[in-house]
Amino acid sequence: MSLNIKRLIVAALSFLFLGALLLVAYQESKRHRVETGLEPVITATNSGCVKCHQTDAPALVKDWESSRHAQLGVGCVDCHQAEKGDIDGWTHEGVLISALVTPKDCARCHTKQHQEFAKSHHAKAGEILASLDNILAERVAGMPGNMADAVNGCWQCHGSIIKFKRDDKGQILRVGKDSKPVIDPDTWPNSGMGRLNPDGSKGSCHACHSRHGFHAYVARSPENCGKCHMGPDHPQIEIYNESKHGIAFYANRDKMALSKPGDWILGRDYYAAPTCATCHISGHMTPQGINTGNNHDVGERISWTLRPVVSTKINRITYDDGYKEDYPDTRQLPKIGAKVDTTEHVVENEALVKKTVNRTVKSILTWQERRTNMKGVCLNCHNDTYVDNFYKQFDSLVTLYNEKFAIPAQDFMNKLTADKVLNPAAPFEHEVQWVFWELWHHEGRRARHGASMMGPDYTHWHGMYEVSKHFYQKFMPEVIKAAATKGPAMKQKYEKLVNEHLARPEHVWQKGLKPEEAEALRRSYEERYK
Amino acid sequence: MKSEPQTHWQPALMARIKSMLPIDWEIIRHMGAEPIPYHLKKWWFCLGGTILYLFIVQIATGIALTFYYVPTPQEAYASIVAITQEVRFGWYIRSLHKWSGNLMIVAVMLHMLRVFFTAAYRHPRQLNWCVGFLLLGTTMTFGFTGYSLVYEQLSFWGATVATNLAEAVPLIGPWIAFFLRGGPEVGENTLTRFFVLHIGVLPTVAFILVAIHIFLVRLHGVTELNFDGETVPEGKRHFQFWPDHATTEILIGVLLMYLLTILALVFPAGLGEPANVNETPLHIKPEWYFYFNFRLLKLTSLKLSVVLTMAIGAIAFFWPFIEEWFMRRWRVSDRLPVTLGVLAFLLFLMLTVWEAFA
Repeated sequence: MSLNIKRLIVAALSFLFLGALLLVAYQESKRHRVETGLEPVITATNSGCVKCHQTDAPALVKDWESSRHAQLGVGCVDCHQAEKGDIDGWTHEGVLISALVTPKDCARCHTKQHQEFAKSHHAKAGEILASLDNILAERVAGMPGNMADAVNGCWQCHGSIIKFKRDDKGQILRVGKDSKPVIDPDTWPNSGMGRLNPDGSKGSCHACHSRHGFHAYVARSPENCGKCHMGPDHPQIEIYNESKHGIAFYANRDKMALSKPGDWILGRDYYAAPTCATCHISGHMTPQGINTGNNHDVGERISWTLRPVVSTKINRITYDDGYKEDYPDTRQLPKIGAKVDTTEHVVENEALVKKTVNRTVKSILTWQERRTNMKGVCLNCHNDTYVDNFYKQFDSLVTLYNEKFAIPAQDFMNKLTADKVLNPAAPFEHEVQWVFWELWHHEGRRARHGASMMGPDYTHWHGMYEVSKHFYQKFMPEVIKAAATKGPAMKQKYEKLVNEHLARPEHVWQKGLKPEEAEALRRSYEERYK
Repeated sequence: MKSEPQTHWQPALMARIKSMLPIDWEIIRHMGAEPIPYHLKKWWFCLGGTILYLFIVQIATGIALTFYYVPTPQEAYASIVAITQEVRFGWYIRSLHKWSGNLMIVAVMLHMLRVFFTAAYRHPRQLNWCVGFLLLGTTMTFGFTGYSLVYEQLSFWGATVATNLAEAVPLIGPWIAFFLRGGPEVGENTLTRFFVLHIGVLPTVAFILVAIHIFLVRLHGVTELNFDGETVPEGKRHFQFWPDHATTEILIGVLLMYLLTILALVFPAGLGEPANVNETPLHIKPEWYFYFNFRLLKLTSLKLSVVLTMAIGAIAFFWPFIEEWFMRRWRVSDRLPVTLGVLAFLLFLMLTVWEAFA
């Protein structure tokens, strides 16, 4: 073989080598762009959707392109695909899809998270639909044929029952060339935490993991929870913002590693402050150097319930099918293996119904164990004396509220009902019912939540101060006023009961301070404002 | 400009220096006047010098980087971040080091292609082929150990895979793996060992091999190539190393520096996620020059891929002797080695591209 031919071979191979290197460089830079989130992976299945929707809804597509889903090639069809027979499904551009993405859909990949969430208190948020809160929105604020307050208010946090428009025969109305089912606009759009979906699942992952970016930093940010955990009846975000935890978070946001992919572990990945997710969901390090991992059941670390009229510590029963139920510590605990009738709310024919299901007790998580779980988070930054003393302060506030105000007020309400002054079927007929409602549902919760999350102003001025003022100045007088509607005898009876109650040592301050207390007060004001 | 008249002190100074360095300057001049075959006037025949130039760049930039690099698992990544973001011109030096290393491997491969297809490894130059092949191995080990020092996710896990490969070498594998890792698994000691290899052992080995390589080239002289149809007058068949060839090499060096600077500016060395021993990344990839091996590993098994690589390496190393024996025994034309070479290189390219797209 002549040297010239060999020279040509070397030249050809060199060019091929250069070409191969350029191909490798191109592919590697593309992979790098994909892995660093600069470029989404658009699979063949999703390319059709992206092609149209990047013009129809460009921001939506761009939001998705910025997501971890897009980096991993999880796209439109992967989440929106429907199964044959799904009542919310329709064939769109040749693919059977649904507008609704339910926790069941997300569970195709996020199985563990779904299992934890599905049994949690969050998933039951939609069961409020049979509560006083809902009556206030649907009936008190609403009017026949218009439940706009419930639709725009309560359900946007608690979740709606997704319903469809139907014809006279009860068949779902479908429109357009794709026969798209018509969802009742009162029930969707809805991203409520406990949304009741047509596939039987409860909840909406989108409530915390906002679509279509699904960024971890959103779910980890306190503002995310603040959409619902705020306002007069449960101002957790406001309390957090005034607490040392909130102050530390906002001052150190850039040190929080909020965007860290994968686990987000207190004591390993960040240290500067806790957010809502830190204490209630995310993992943390233990003194043994173990990562506890996260848990989408938000109740696993909560030892008090601060929601009802009277707070109780709560034990958790887990049944053999995974169903969970909270038992107040005042209620006898069943034995492991015992068969227990449980009440579950399910949707049947687009309505919430109660069902009694006999289940076997599998395990019990006591309130003390729940508290130990929470203390595990606290101990990442505080020592055990600090944490124990905090819980003593918190417990004492809840006990104070319970014993001085909640239990007596509830007792008066029970008596009025027993005397047929109050009609249980008319929960907001008398002024006293409104005052009582706000006493525990608004002011009492603010005080308890304030103490639970170290918000001093919410504990006192927005909380116990309002509870006390309204207990003495509104509730007690309204008890007598309501009784008076049943005649003078009933009025006299309740005047006597109220006076007897206010004669208790914790209420005698009304008759005047002791001389030395009054003198100290006078001197203090003289000193402060002279 | 009019030249200055030579003053009397210059010859005196030169004489003084010469007396301090009692060297036979005639021999130096004679060595510099080494006749170089005319084909080396073309730059693509100067790849050996290109490699040497890039090696010098690696030494210079490598020493500069060593001033700031901290070879401990806790500090390594942070020191690279500091070099890239804080140290003045740190990013430039690091990018030069990275690109020069990559270009060096490209140049080594091109140099080998030229040597192979022009059959410059044949008798009496068989030994220099073997030394050259060892230099290829040294260069690739340089690349591998250097990449691991970055201590980012990919380089850390790349090192893990590579030491697993080493472990699969028959008989001595576990020992080599233990030696490289400094323990049963990639850990604290591994980084230190790779550092010592990268800045101490490998440069020493490379210096010795380069010296032998150049020495052998000088002893044998550069292979003379006679292209068909080219008639070169006898007086022009050779030119002098100094200053003619040296000028070509300097020119190539300047152009290489220009190319390296452009690459460093346009594609500066980046940084991935820091190494996390608890989290295996989605895609583990070595540097491109190990892709063929990585693909081979995926296509076969750990053991088989290692045995295959070793077999291919052994054949390549002993190729001049194998070919000689083959040709003597079967009297085949030199089409066979050329065809084999083309196929082998195409296979290498195919596996490399395949791995990139996998």
